[in-house]
Order: sequence, then C-alpha cells, then structure tokens
Amino acid sequence: MKYDPPFQRTNGFPPVLILFGIMLFLPMILTDTYSRHILILVMIYAVIASNWDLSLGYGGIFNFAHMTFFAIGLYGYGLLAKVIGINPWLAILLAALVAVAFAALLSIPILKLEGVYVILVTIAASQLVLKLIVSQSDYTGGTSGMVLLPRLTVGDYKLNSDGRIGYYYAGLFLLGLSTLFLYKFNRSALGRAVKALRDNKYYAISRGVSEPRMRLVTLCASAFFPGLIGGFYGSYVRVASPDVFGLGFLTITLSILLVGGVSSTWGPILAAFLITVLAELLGDYGIWRDISIAALIILVIILYPGGLFAAVQELWNFADKNKTALIAWYRRQYKANARKELTGAEEKMIETRHGTVAVADTKTGAKSIVFIHGNSSCKEIFTHQFHYFSDHYRVVAIDLPGHGVSYNGRPEEDYSVQSYAQMVAEVVQKLDLVDPVIFGWSLGGYVALEYAAAGYPLTAVSISGTSPVSVFPDDMPKGYIPSPHMELAGKRFHSRYEKQKYALNTVGTDKPEAKMFRDAVWRTDGRAREYVFSKLKTIDWPRQTRLLQQGNIPFAMLNGPEDPFINHSYCQSLKYGNIWTGNVITIKGGGHAPFFMKPVQFNHQFRMFLKSLE
Amino acid sequence: MELETLLYILVSGLVLGGLYALMAIGLSVVWTTIGVFNFAHGTFVALGAYIAWQVSSSLGGAPGFLLGAVVAPVALFMIGYALHYALVKPFERNPNIVLLSVITTLAAASIIESMIQLIWGPREKQIEAPVNGNLEFAGLSFSAQDILTFVVTLFILAALAWFLKRSRTGRAMRAAAQNREAAQLMGFNVTHLYALTIGIAAATAAIAGLFIGSIRFINPTFGVDPLMKSLIVVIFGGVAHFTSPILAAFIVGLIEAFSVYFFGLYWAPSILFGLMIIVLLIKPEGLFGFQRKTL
Repeated sequence: MKYDPPFQRTNGFPPVLILFGIMLFLPMILTDTYSRHILILVMIYAVIASNWDLSLGYGGIFNFAHMTFFAIGLYGYGLLAKVIGINPWLAILLAALVAVAFAALLSIPILKLEGVYVILVTIAASQLVLKLIVSQSDYTGGTSGMVLLPRLTVGDYKLNSDGRIGYYYAGLFLLGLSTLFLYKFNRSALGRAVKALRDNKYYAISRGVSEPRMRLVTLCASAFFPGLIGGFYGSYVRVASPDVFGLGFLTITLSILLVGGVSSTWGPILAAFLITVLAELLGDYGIWRDISIAALIILVIILYPGGLFAAVQELWNFADKNKTALIAWYRRQYKANARKELTGAEEKMIETRHGTVAVADTKTGAKSIVFIHGNSSCKEIFTHQFHYFSDHYRVVAIDLPGHGVSYNGRPEEDYSVQSYAQMVAEVVQKLDLVDPVIFGWSLGGYVALEYAAAGYPLTAVSISGTSPVSVFPDDMPKGYIPSPHMELAGKRFHSRYEKQKYALNTVGTDKPEAKMFRDAVWRTDGRAREYVFSKLKTIDWPRQTRLLQQGNIPFAMLNGPEDPFINHSYCQSLKYGNIWTGNVITIKGGGHAPFFMKPVQFNHQFRMFLKSLE
Repeated sequence: MELETLLYILVSGLVLGGLYALMAIGLSVVWTTIGVFNFAHGTFVALGAYIAWQVSSSLGGAPGFLLGAVVAPVALFMIGYALHYALVKPFERNPNIVLLSVITTLAAASIIESMIQLIWGPREKQIEAPVNGNLEFAGLSFSAQDILTFVVTLFILAALAWFLKRSRTGRAMRAAAQNREAAQLMGFNVTHLYALTIGIAAATAAIAGLFIGSIRFINPTFGVDPLMKSLIVVIFGGVAHFTSPILAAFIVGLIEAFSVYFFGLYWAPSILFGLMIIVLLIKPEGLFGFQRKTL
C-alpha cells in the first residue's frame, strides 16, 4: 500500500527526536497517575503499530497475525513469570523470543503465498494460537485469562510506585529502542531489499533478493518488539486475557497504523497519541468508542489513504512551493541591481505559455546568443559571457520556469525539457532574435538540443556538461559517471547538506564570490527538479542524436575534464556529423561549468566557434 | 464404536456441514465475483439472527419463525447492497483492493457488532424453533429442527445454484465476475451487479443466522465463529466451482463432528485451523480448485 505522490524527503527523524524530547520531560508536568497511564498505553500501541508497519507497510506482507506476537509476549510473560516463576525481566525477554520463534514458524506457510491467502493463513494462525491458549485453561485461565501477573521491580523499587514513573520510563525506553531499530532496519541493506520486493517483486528477485528469506526476516524483525511490549504490558496491567486476540485491539492498532500512514514509522507513533487519547476521551461512551474508531478507519482509508504522514508531506510541499516563490518575489523586488551588476544587461519579464520568465538581454548586436542555464541554477551564472560577448553580440539569458527570478510554473505543463524548449522558442520569437546561437549547459544542454531537434530557428547549437543520449534510460549510465550527487538532480526535497553538496558539484567552486550561484539551489522549485527528471523518458531522444549525426546544424561541445558527472570517453565516442574542430573541446580546470570556472579559455574557444559560423 | 454412534456423528456432521455451506457460499460468491474477502460476513450472520429473533419473538411460534425467515434475509439483502457502496466501491479500480477491502470490512464488522450490542444488549438469546421433538427413523431419533435445517439449507443452495446458472441476473453476475470490462461493454451495470452479489450473500448469511439462532444461543460477538468456519470452508474447497465450497463444508462439518467426539470440544477448532494451514501449504487453490477465480 503506497500513497501515490512519491515522497522523497530523506529524513523523518527530527520530528521523532522532538517527540521523544517532549516525552522525556512530560512526567514532570503530568504528575497524576491517570495521564501517565494513558501515555504508557500510547507507547505500547506505538510499538505495536510501528512494528506492524514493517511487515504491512514496508514489506507489503498482509500479516494479520501481528496482534498474536503481542499476545504471545503477554501470555509468554504470564506463563514464564507466574506459572514457572522466573525473573520477570528475563521472562519479558524470553517471551519476546518466543514471539520471534512463532513469527519464524508463521513465515513457513506464507513463504510462497500471495495476497489474500496471506491474510487468511495469518488470521487462521492467530485463531489457532487463541484456541490453543483457551484450551489449556489449567495454565492460561482459559477464556477468563490470567490475573495477578508479577510486577517489574528494580531491587526493592516497584516500577509502579511514585505515580508509575518507572513504567513510564521503561516504556519510553522500549519505544525508543524499537523506533531506533525500525529506523536503522529501514535504512539498512536488508530494509532496502524488503522495500524493493514490495515495489517491484520480480525485478528485486532478478537482482538476487530472495523473497522467502526476506519474508522470514521481515516477520521475525516485526515480531520482537511487539513480543517485548506484550510482556511489558502483562507486567503493567497484570492481566493476560484472550481479549487481545479480539476485534477491539485489532481495530485500534489498525486505525493507529492507517491514521498515521503506512510506510512511515513515525506516522503510527504520532497517531498512537491521537487515537489512544481519542479512545480514552470516548471511553465513557463504551460501544460508541468502538464504532467511532471503526468508522474512522473506513473514512481515512476512503478519503485520505496516506494518513497523517501524507498530510505532513503535503503541508511540506505547500510550504516549500511557497518558500521558493517568496524568494523569487523578494529578489525581483529588491535585488535587481545586484543582478544587473553581474550581467550588465536589462532584465525583463516575458510572458510565455509556460509562465512568465525573466530574461536578461543586452539588446545590441546583429547576431544573438541565447544562454540556457542548468538544473537548479540561474541565468547570472553566465556573467563572464555577458561581459565578454556583449561587444559584438546580443547576449540573452533566460531563467527557466521555477528558477532564478522567473515565476514558479505549473508542474504538469511547464516542467519538462520539451516545454522549456518551447518557452525558449517563444522568447526568441518575442525578442525578434533572428537565428540565434543556442548555448545550453547541463540540463539546459538538453533544452538546447530539443530546441534544435524540434526545428526552431537557429544558427548553431552548443552544449556543455551534457551527454547526448540516444536510448533512454540505457545510455544514461554510460553518459554519466555514477555518483550519489546525480540522484540529487531529480529530487524534490533536499536536505541542507544535500543542497550544499549539489551546488558545490554543479558550480564547481566553494569561493565566497560564487555563493549566489550556489544559493540558486535554495530558490529552485523542487517540483521543477522532480518533474523534469521524471519526464525525461518522454523526450524523443533519437531525434536529438539524429540531429547531431546528420550535422545540418553546426555544433560545438565544450566540457571540463574534471566534470564530476560527465563520462568524457562516452562523449568522444559518439558520432557527430558537424562538430566544430572535429572533436569535443576540453577546457582544463573547467569542472562541470567551464564557462564559469575558466571564463578566459572558454570565451576564447567559444568566440572561435562563433567566428567559424560567419 | 457402535454403528448407532457413528450414525449420530454422521448426521450431526451433515447438519453442521449444511449450515457451513450456507454461510460459506455467500463468502465464496463475493470472492469469486468481486475479488473481495468480506470479513463482515460473520456479522451478517449475527445481524440476521438478531433481526430474526426480534421478529419471531414478537409473534412467537412457527408463524414468528416463518416471518423472521422472510424479514431477516430481506433486511440483510438491503444492508449488504448498501454496504457495497460504502466499503468496496471506493476501491473498485485500486490494485490494493484486496487489502483495503479486508480492512474496511473488518471495520464494518466491528461497527455492526457494536450496533448489535447497542440495540439488543449483551445478553444471550435464542430463536424459538418452529418444530419440536424428534423424528424416529429406523430406530434412531433425530431432532426435527436439525432435519428441517438440513432440508431447507439444501433447498436454498439449490435455488441459489439455479439463480446463478439459469436466471438472467445470475448470468449477468457471472459475466461480471469473469470479465468486468466485457460485461460493462455489454451494457450491464457492474456496480449494481456487485452490490447485488453482496446483498445476496448477506441474505444467505441471514438464513444461516436464523437456523443457528434456533439451535444455539446467540450473542453480539457470535459472528466471529461463523466467519472463521466459512473461511476454513472456502480455503478447504477452493472456489473453482459453485459446488466446491459446499462439498468442503460437508467435509469440514464431518471432520468437526468426529474430532469433537474423539478429541473433545476444545481441540476441534485447533484441528480445523491446522488442517486449513496444511491445505493452503499443499494446495492453495483448495481441494477441488484448479483456478484462482472463477464461478
């Protein structure tokens, strides 16, 4: 079960950390036993639900015997601590191990089953355990259950004295441990394999992930903490009754999981607060409580299947979208002079069918050059070119929609290489640039190639930091060097660290005077990154390479050999029909942005190319 | 073991099997038609029993039972029909329909169970049986109510089979089950047919509830047991044919009757669940099944 929009925020950890910080000090404020009791219940439910998420959400295994793990922990504790009489602390741990053993047993029948059959077997298995427990009434108390289970003590100190403070912190410790475990597990190689099986089973299997083994691992991993908390629950309420197998417990846990949002770990933890407190508030209404919780499940699943987690994500989206728009607005209003200093050109806003874009234009010169910047950058990165070429040429640079001081666009319509190319064509037409030379950098390189391939008017096309691709996506790993920073290019949300890394790699310098260009990443609409990259597959790539091979249009390629992204031997191995000087030009020390890092060499070479066109 | 005891066990197993067949057939028809496992089916049985109790106890005797036998299925048919729109229809095109509908039907089961408790209270009730006494046959005496249950059950199953195989609506339902898109192209209102399926399943559940309520005591949570039994039956027999769950129901009934005799009341459910898991391991499509989803 997945919520449809892809969530690419890497870190769900800070909210949980804050929550734990609050919970650590909450007992100082809430000193009465009742509110602490509710908080202990919250922790118990949070552990059960967040671990269920491991199998149901991350693993995609419809395990409906999850409450049985809890029940086994509970009854295991009762039998070990009361009937056999071993140390309660040891009994809790042993009971949890019994729950894991049961999970391992349970995984055997469902190793090869699919869909509803998994649900049926797990339900049958949990009923089997229930019937076995009820049938052994000599030890388990049958349908009426076991009472007066031993309490937990440290030395002579009972954990329930001083307003249950001991149980509170023990529960918090278990919840913290469980959350840490889930967090680590989901980010480990095992956790990734589990998720891969859920998302694309056959691909995962073909990459060597064993489905039966992963199911075993998932179930066992999701059983330990519920088993542990089951024993803890037993020592706390001191009763073990077959109610824990009933519909009531199941629906409460399920509602916590669904309201919180599956595949999120911390969603269920937050939801445990909401639902448990809600359930306690409705406690006086008895049956109405069960009805409202069940109705809540149905409503959430029909109206808002992502739960709290999705709500937070959408809130985040909303904030991020507005934040970037606000930065752009602020720069339009107050920073025009700073931009003019860099380009020495007039800036104006031009309305196109892909939104209003900012264009810097030197206005004079018979021949014109249009510069298109790359992903998460801005037109001012061509500052050296403005100063160098404006003597003979009309230099124009455009902020792509969602970048620089252009407005944010509509994601579906405006964020793609094709619509960027259409936008450039419209700007060219509106400014009356007759057959310009189009220069594109990085992602802008694809925009330039697309512009040329679509047959818009131009004299020549030149790219930098771009690998031409003919088969997508197969050529992508050939054209680019695999690096973790490549992934960032198509990511909607960056963490601070990721933004810095990405900016440093694209701009190529950490000098303070280039700070403005690195900051462009902060302004860029995250949706532009995500949509442009997810729509790369819709580009007619062979049309672009055909254009380069046929050579009807003069073409130049200027790369920096230290570029952290481009595979140079790939670029050189391609066939070009009309490439200037017959090969790819390399500009030593140029990095990913040679025109910015080594402007003297670049400008010299580029002017030679422009001269060759005359 | 004496022959007489064997016969008694056989008969009680068959009566049990008939009831299980009646309960399971609704689950199986819904599963094969819509591809949804209705976990509220057990509470349909319970709700049907309570409605029948309400009607029959106000009138009393055989006429009351007869009225209950009419009112309960009709009421449940309408409830089932309406519930399709609330529980299943929102996910009709969702690839996760199986899990989602399991969750919604479980929640609905919880709601119905609570409603029953709210309306009728937690006390146990029993529907007054229309016939009393025993029938003597070849020196053996059988409870008349058991025999009535068995005969009526067989009759209803036959009627349902006729409806699905021969009637126009039944064939439309099967068409929708086999190929939803094609059925839609032929002008059938598939959503209506799906809702009808759940309605019919609920109606058969109500009849099962009526008979169980006249044999045993009913309480608000008693729906769990019929649900589990129907699950076992459906898994045991598979759903390849209309008759597969029915045959399986009789086998399960007999196994239960014998294991209660030999191993005691407490062990019988464990044996059934254990057997079900074994069947799933060896032949997930059921004993009589060769395909996953046909009618």
